[in-house]
Amino acid sequence: MKRYLETGNFAITEGAILAGCRFFAGYPITPATELAEAMSFRLPQVGGMYIQGEDECAALHLCIGGALGGYKAMTATSGPGFILYADPYGWAIGCEIPLVVLNSGRVGPVSGITGAPGQGEFYLTRYPTQGGNFETIVLAPNSAQEAMSVIVESFYLAERFRTPVTVLADQLITDGFEDISVPENEGEMKEMGFRTWPRKINKGPVFYPSTDEIDIPPVVLGHNTGALCSDWTPTEEGYDIEEVAAHHKHAYRLIYKVRNHKELFNNLYEKNFMDDDPELVVVSYGTPSRVVNTAVKKARQNGLKVGALRLINLWPFPDEHFKKKTKYLSVELNWDGQLVREVQRAAGKDSEVHFMGSCGDLPTVADLIETFEKILKGQPLKRRGWELEEW
Amino acid sequence: MDYLSKKYLRPRKIPSTACSGCGLGMNHKAVVQAIYELGLEVEDIVWGTSIGCAGRQTFGTWKGDGFAGTHGRVYAIARGLRLTLPPEKKIILTVGDGDAFGIGLLHLIHSARSNADLTIIVNDNLGYMSTGGQYGWTTPHGSKTDSSPYGMYEHNLMSDGMDVLGVLKHAGATFLARHVAMDGQRAVESIKKGIRNRGLSLIHMVYPCPTNFGSRELGTRDTIKMYDYIKSQSAPMGEEKENTLWATGIYHDTSDSRPEFSENIHKNIEKIRRAAAV
Ligand SMILES: Cc1ncc(C[n+]2csc(CCOP(=O)(O)OP(=O)(O)O)c2C)c(N)n1
Ligand code: SF4
Ligand SMILES: [Mg+2]
Repeated sequence: MKRYLETGNFAITEGAILAGCRFFAGYPITPATELAEAMSFRLPQVGGMYIQGEDECAALHLCIGGALGGYKAMTATSGPGFILYADPYGWAIGCEIPLVVLNSGRVGPVSGITGAPGQGEFYLTRYPTQGGNFETIVLAPNSAQEAMSVIVESFYLAERFRTPVTVLADQLITDGFEDISVPENEGEMKEMGFRTWPRKINKGPVFYPSTDEIDIPPVVLGHNTGALCSDWTPTEEGYDIEEVAAHHKHAYRLIYKVRNHKELFNNLYEKNFMDDDPELVVVSYGTPSRVVNTAVKKARQNGLKVGALRLINLWPFPDEHFKKKTKYLSVELNWDGQLVREVQRAAGKDSEVHFMGSCGDLPTVADLIETFEKILKGQPLKRRGWELEEW
Repeated sequence: MDYLSKKYLRPRKIPSTACSGCGLGMNHKAVVQAIYELGLEVEDIVWGTSIGCAGRQTFGTWKGDGFAGTHGRVYAIARGLRLTLPPEKKIILTVGDGDAFGIGLLHLIHSARSNADLTIIVNDNLGYMSTGGQYGWTTPHGSKTDSSPYGMYEHNLMSDGMDVLGVLKHAGATFLARHVAMDGQRAVESIKKGIRNRGLSLIHMVYPCPTNFGSRELGTRDTIKMYDYIKSQSAPMGEEKENTLWATGIYHDTSDSRPEFSENIHKNIEKIRRAAAV
């Protein structure tokens, strides 16, 4: 194991290389630029390719081409670039191409604030393209070290599910310097719980309509298997077919191959002080969860019965965590409230769901504890300019 | 096309679903004929297409491996594939004019800039025809289409002394040619040169669309009239007449003159990898 004081971008680069990524296509954007730079430095050293796209739409298409040629491929961006992925995302989802896409959130809409963390793409990562009729896997780390393991896991899941896996990070996770351990051999990778899955070449039918099977090798071109893939609804052989019944089969697969195998990743969460049925469960993901964890610990010391639930697996949304009838508070880096809507839905009418958002800044421990107290006492949350809203 | 289709094409896709009288098949045949004359086999080629008539009619016709991109994006997919396929595999793309010169132009220019070894056949039916017939970036001035009911008056890539092939030449393409569907063996020879070039080759091939172009501009679906319209306005380079819109032949040929995209990248990676291993 080698230890570094380094950024999340560094950790992600090393994780991707450990996972077998040898193709990265990027386009500069804060705060994902350093990841592209690190890849351009590291990948050629291990025989991999770094390539710059003419825009993000091209970058993800280049990754698709790389994956079609048999490589494990990845790209990374932030909100303004993520929006340009919509087109290739759809293609990759429909053609079942394993890819890893990282989105390091900043403050939007549009260019917004480049140098602060944001969480405005909770829903956009679920629906990264048009058309519906598909399910997506989205994972969110909350530290540089965890970003490494989440990237490794994403490559693993991408292969097994034949689909793009999205990693939703934010500016503090990718740009922040932290203590990072990088495994140096397979034994150490195992020790850290890293799983990998090799790229295999598909020799059977290209598509598996109506089935939810996983572990099917993806389409790889150039081996003269007669593989066909396109943006149209496919037959098993990949021919384009304009037929509703065929589309039903295709859509079924794109949704249920993920939904029916959630056990492969729905253990990705963290619970703190959740064993004694807390009166208030504080829900978060990514950077704010680190402040939440501290605040919840402090609040416990002050005698408040609160617990912290941190989601790593964001999509498909883990409804199972919200079965208990209690009070929930969603803490997010946006003012419009995104995660809270899913919490509301999953928790149902019998639970009380609150929202605390921030926009370009982070909540403080004091602010959080004050909010916990108010919720527990049943007091209204609105105060000063600090945008707290009742839901 | 019998012996050619037996050798190279999938029976499921014959006959194509193109309108009767469509000239796309002539372009398609010229490409397959060129492949045959070069002695290439099914496994030597990965075939990519766009959407639209040009894309969908040719998608899945090749017996070997094939793919189709969304509108305008096949050039970026093909470049990624170029990097990860062995250099001896040829990549041929059959695409539409709207795809290549409109929505995909940025990706196309960067394919030329990087000199990626791709042979791109732009099947130009003078606009967006599978969407019913709207003007595009090569539609002759004055043409009536569904989106230019008063005659097309926007500047485009073939008007006012412009030539889309000039744009691509300056962007770095190493082989460029223009033909019309009726050019027969002359077109085949250009396509052969394009496939042979280890770099970006593009062959612009104008073809007749009686259904959506002819019916609006000529007021008839008459196939002969549409063929005449194209044929009479084309002439071999150097033999242009006053009404010539499409001067046919090789526009630019610097084949094999500068390092190919993937070759260049792999060479540099290998250098870095070796230095890092020391
Ligand atoms: C992003 C996007 N925009 C628009 C369309 C609709 N569309 C489908 S085919 C087509 C025409 C393409 O024109 P061209 O490339 O010239 O092909 P043609 O049909 O003329 O052969 C268009 C615009 C689409 N499929 N995707
Ligand atoms: S619409 Fe025109 S280009 Fe398309 S298939 Fe019919 S004739 Fe051919
Ligand atoms: Mg067209």
